[in-house]
Amino acid sequence: MASAPTSKYNSHSLENESIKRTSRDGVNRDIGEALPRLPGETRITDKEVIYICPFNGPIKGRVYITNYRLYLRSLETDSALILDVPLGVISRIEKMGGATSRGENSYGLDITCKDMRNLRFALKQEGHSRRDMFEILTRYAFPLAHSLPIFAFLNEEKFDVDGWMVYNPVEEYRRQGLPNHHWRITFINKCYELCDTYPALLVVPYRASDDDLRRVAAFRSRNRIPVLSWIHPENKTVIMRCSQPLVGMSGKRNKDDEKYLDVIRETNRQINKLTIYDARPNVNAVANKATGGGYESDDAYHNAELFFLDIHNIHVMRESLKKVKDIVYPNVEESHWLSSLESTHWLEHIKLVLTGAIQVADRVSSGKSSVVVHCSDGWDRTAQLTSLAMLMLDSYYRSIEGFEILVQKEWISFGHKFASRIGHGDKNHADADRSPIFLQFVDCVWQMSKQFPTAFEFNERFLIIILDHLYSCRFGTFLYNCESAREKQKVTERTVSLWSLINSNKDKFKNPFYTKEINRVLYPVASMRHLELWVNYYIRWNPRIKQQQPNPVEQRYMELLALRDEYIKRLEELQLANSPKLSDPSTSPSSPSQMMPHVQTHF
Amino acid sequence: MEFSELIRTGQAQAELLRGPEMPPLRGTLCVTGHHLLLSPGPQATPDLWLLLLRSVDSIEKRVAGDAGTITLRCKDLRVLQLDIEGVEATLDIARSIEALSSLESVITSFPFFYRPKGLRLGEAWHFHPPERYYKRIARETRAWRLSEANEDFSLCPSYPRAVIVPRAVDDDALARSARFRQGGRFPVLSYYHAPRGTVLLRSSQPLTGRQKLRCAEDEELLRAVLAEARPGARGFIVDTRSAQAAKQARMTGGGTEAKAAYPGWKRLHRPLERGRPLQESFVRLMEACGDPEQSMDRWLSRLDGCRWLSHVKEALSTACLAAQGMEWEGACILVHGAEGTDSTLLVTSLAQLILDPLSRTMAGFQELIEREWIQAGHPFQLRCAHSAFSHTRPKHEAPIFLLFLDCVWQLGRQFPLSLEFGEGMLLALFDHSYASPFGTFLCNSEKERCLCEVRTRTHSLWSGLNQPKEQRKLRNPLYVPNPLAIWPSVEPQSLRLWQGLFLRWTHPPEPSEVAWEKVWQIATDQKTEGSQPTDSASEPQP
Repeated sequence: MASAPTSKYNSHSLENESIKRTSRDGVNRDIGEALPRLPGETRITDKEVIYICPFNGPIKGRVYITNYRLYLRSLETDSALILDVPLGVISRIEKMGGATSRGENSYGLDITCKDMRNLRFALKQEGHSRRDMFEILTRYAFPLAHSLPIFAFLNEEKFDVDGWMVYNPVEEYRRQGLPNHHWRITFINKCYELCDTYPALLVVPYRASDDDLRRVAAFRSRNRIPVLSWIHPENKTVIMRCSQPLVGMSGKRNKDDEKYLDVIRETNRQINKLTIYDARPNVNAVANKATGGGYESDDAYHNAELFFLDIHNIHVMRESLKKVKDIVYPNVEESHWLSSLESTHWLEHIKLVLTGAIQVADRVSSGKSSVVVHCSDGWDRTAQLTSLAMLMLDSYYRSIEGFEILVQKEWISFGHKFASRIGHGDKNHADADRSPIFLQFVDCVWQMSKQFPTAFEFNERFLIIILDHLYSCRFGTFLYNCESAREKQKVTERTVSLWSLINSNKDKFKNPFYTKEINRVLYPVASMRHLELWVNYYIRWNPRIKQQQPNPVEQRYMELLALRDEYIKRLEELQLANSPKLSDPSTSPSSPSQMMPHVQTHF
Repeated sequence: MEFSELIRTGQAQAELLRGPEMPPLRGTLCVTGHHLLLSPGPQATPDLWLLLLRSVDSIEKRVAGDAGTITLRCKDLRVLQLDIEGVEATLDIARSIEALSSLESVITSFPFFYRPKGLRLGEAWHFHPPERYYKRIARETRAWRLSEANEDFSLCPSYPRAVIVPRAVDDDALARSARFRQGGRFPVLSYYHAPRGTVLLRSSQPLTGRQKLRCAEDEELLRAVLAEARPGARGFIVDTRSAQAAKQARMTGGGTEAKAAYPGWKRLHRPLERGRPLQESFVRLMEACGDPEQSMDRWLSRLDGCRWLSHVKEALSTACLAAQGMEWEGACILVHGAEGTDSTLLVTSLAQLILDPLSRTMAGFQELIEREWIQAGHPFQLRCAHSAFSHTRPKHEAPIFLLFLDCVWQLGRQFPLSLEFGEGMLLALFDHSYASPFGTFLCNSEKERCLCEVRTRTHSLWSGLNQPKEQRKLRNPLYVPNPLAIWPSVEPQSLRLWQGLFLRWTHPPEPSEVAWEKVWQIATDQKTEGSQPTDSASEPQP
C-alpha cells in the first residue's frame, strides 16, 4: 500500500519550510456525481464562478442554485472540491467590489453563514451574472421577504419512520408517572387561550383549579405560569418552569401566585422551602422591575428561597459567539490561542449554564426541595436549565429518542423562539432577537458527553446534524416560535420532521460505548479546567484542524464499525468525574443509593 | 547500613489526607530506609500505605500546639498531608524524610533492594537494543554496520557500547569524528526508514569553535550517509537551536556544520526550549493546575502563559519536519542541538513514532524508549532529580522526557486506534522516570549503569510492566495495527492539556478507571462475539 497520498494541497517540501498539511476543505468531495436533489427541490440556475477558498485559494467552479441549496463543484482537474450549503444557513449576502474594481477576484459576492463560516465567490464583471446570482440567492435564502414558502413546505422526502410521532406529551408524562395524587394534566390551554406560547397540554398541581391558573397567569410575564417539567420518580420533588413575576417598580404582589407556589411546595410533604432559581444576574433581575418584571421577594414568598444563577442574556451570548467566530474563521488565531479563546468568554458562559443546571439537578436529586426555574420570559435560559438538569437526572433523555423528546418538549413545545433566534428565511441578519441559545445548550450537552463517554446513546455526529438542520429549513422541526403558530401552519402535516431522518438511520448516530444505566445522576465538572472548545463543530471548516489524512485502515475500520465512529476520537476523555463541582461547597453529591449497582452492557 | 543514622524517630501516630476525594487514613507512621509507611490499627483495614521516599519532591512542616502537619509534594504531582501527634515526632519525621529523599547515591537506592515476587533478576529482553535494532535493519540494507568502537566508553561516555554507523566509515574515523563532536557524540543511526531507504541520524554539535575548525572524518561520515542512501540524495540537518544560538555556541567551542564542508546537507533551525525555561514552564503549569483558588475565569490565559502547550506544539512540529523530510523528500536527516542528549532525542523518537508502525506497538515503544532515551544517554538522573514542586533552585532538571510523553499522548488522542499502549502506559512511564523501584531509569548513561551494575542488580521496569496483571491498565483496547505514517495536526486548537496527568490528583481518578474498564469490556466483547470486522480490516495490509 502506498504511503499517505499527497495532493496539491498537502505536499509541502522542506524547502518552503512548511509543515502544515491541508488536505480537505471540510466538505465532501465526490467526483463526477450529479447534483444531489431532494424530492421537491428544483434547480433555479447555475453559474461559473471562482470560489475563494480561505484555505486553498481561488478555485474555479460551477455553482448550482436550487430552491434548497447552493452547490458548487470544482472545474479544476486537480481539485475535487464540492460545496453543499443549504440556503437556510445563509445569514447575509453582500456584494463586494464595484464596476471599477481592479485586481483579481475582487468582484463578486460575500456570503455570511450561520454555521461559523463565510463563502466568497468572484464573478465576471460583465453580463449581469453577479446581479442574477445575488437576486436569486436573496429570493431563496430569504423566502419570507419574497412571499415564498420556506423549503420545508416543499420538501417531499419520505422516510420509514415518522418523526412527528416521537413526542407525545401524554405518553411522556405517563412515563414520568403523571398524573398522580398531586399532579394533574390540564387542557386549559387547549386553544392557547391561557398562554399563547405554551403547549396545549400542561401539568399543574392537583389542588390548583383552572381559575387559579388564570389568576396566576395574570401575574406572570406573557402568562407563562409555573408548570411541571419533570418529577423525581422516588422523592417526588419537581422541576417547574415559568417566566418572571410582574412585580414592577412598586413591588406588586399577587396572592394567587404566592398561594400557587405554596401549593407546589405542599405537593411534597417533607419540604418546608421551595427553591426558586432565577437564571439572570441579580442586577438584571432588579433592572427588569423597571419594565414591569422582577423576581419573587422574601416578604411575599415566605416559604421560598431565591438564588440568582448569573447567566447573561441573549445579546451577551450572541456577541460572545461572534467573537469566537472572529478567532476561528477563516484564520485560526495562532499565537495566544487560549488567551484569545478566554477573551470571547464563550466557555465561561457554558460554565455558568452548566453550573446552574447542576444546582437544579442536585437540589431535586437530593430531595431537598422542589425547584422553580425562570429567567425573564422563560423561553431561553429557563429552557437551557430545565433541559440540562433533566438530562443529568434522567437517563432516559440520554438515549437518542429520549433526547429528541427532551428537545421537543422543553424547547419546541414550550416556545423557545426558534424562528426569532435563528431567523429562518428572514433577511434581517442584524435582528437583535437572534441568539445562539440552542447552540449553547447543545454545546453543554457535548461537554457532558465528553466527561461521560459511556452515558449517552448518541455520538457527536448526532449533535452536529441537529445543529445543521437547526438552520437548513429542510425540516419543519425547528420552524416557528411556538406550538400555536406551528399548529396554525399545520407544520406536522405539511413538513417532514428532522427525527424522521435521524431515526430511520439511527446507527450512524450511535455511540458504541453507550452503557445504559438507570437512575444514574450525572454531575459534570463545570470547572474551566474541564471545559473545552468544541473544535469539531466550531472549527470544522478549517482543514488544518482535522487530523491529517486519517489513514485508509483506520478509515475503513471506522466505516465498518459505523457504530464506533465519532466516539473513538474521544478516548482521552476517560477522565470522567462524578462529583459536582459547585460554587457552593455545602451542596453534596448524589447519594450512592442513586447509582445503580449493576451495569448493563448494551450490544 | 547508614540509613539508620538518618532515621530520627521510630514511629508516630498520624492521619494521612490524600486529596479531596479519598478518605483519610489513620494509623502508625513509620520511616524506613526507603519508605514512609502508614500502618492502620488492627481494627481498621489491614492495608499498609506505602510511599517511596525517593518520590518526595518537597516537604513542608508546620507545628501548632502539640501536633504537627507535614505536606509532601510528590514527583508524580500528588500532594499528601500528614497530621502527626507530637511536635518532636513531626520534626523528626520531617527531617528523616528530607534526608532520605535526597540521597544521591545510586547503589543504595531502592531498586538495588527491590525484589518483587514473580520476577527474576536479569530476565529482560532489552539488554542490547542497538544490536537488536541492527538485526532489524540488516535485513533491509547492507549500508550500515554495528560498531563496537565504544566498547569501553572511551569514544563517547554517553553512548552505549555498540552504535550503528555507515559501513564505509571505519572505527578510527569514528574516533576522530567523536573528538570533533561535543561529548564525543558523533553522528549515529537513530532510525532506518525502510519504505524510502532514508535514515535519521543524531549527534551533538560539531566543535567548530571560533576558528571554524573542520574535521575530514566527520565530513566523510556524513558524505557516506548520503552516498549510501542513493546517488544524489540530499540531507537536512535539523538544529534544535535558533540560528543565533547556534552561532553564539561558536564562542564556547561549539557551532554548526559549515555549508561548504558538508555538500548535500542543508541546515534548518528549529529552536526548541530546553533546560531551565522548560522546567519553569512545568513549574508554572503545576502552580496553575494546583491553585486552590481556582481563579477560573483566568484559567485559559494562565494556561497560555505557562507556554507548556507551545512547547508541545514546537516539539511535534519539529518531529513532523524530520519525518516529512524522510517520507516525502526522500532525504536523510541529522538532528542535533548542543549536547544532543535532550531535544535531539525528543525529535528523533517522535519522528519514529510518526513513521514507524512497529514503534507504536507495546514492545516497539519500550524498545524505542530503551534505545532512543536510556541507551542514547538522556541524563535521567539529572533531569528527573526533581519534579515541579522542589524549592531548590533547578540545576540540571528539565522535563524533557515528560514533554515527550505529552507529545505521544497528543498523538494517541488524534489517532486513537494507532497506538497499542494507552494513557496508563504513559502515566506509568512518567511516574517511574522520576521515582521507581525499578532500575531502568537510574543513572545518566550506559557507562554509569555499567559501573553501578544496574542491569544485573536491579529489576527492569519492562519486566514489571509486561506482567499479565498490568496489561489491562497499560494497553489500548481499540488498537488496530496501522502500517502508515500518522501525521498529527499541530495547530494550537488541536492540542489539549493532558488532564490525565496534570490534573490527575485534583479530580477523582476512580470514574475514569470505571470508564476505561467499560471500554475494555465493550472492545473485548465485540471481538469475542466475532461480529466485528477487525480481522478483515487489518488483513490486507502490505
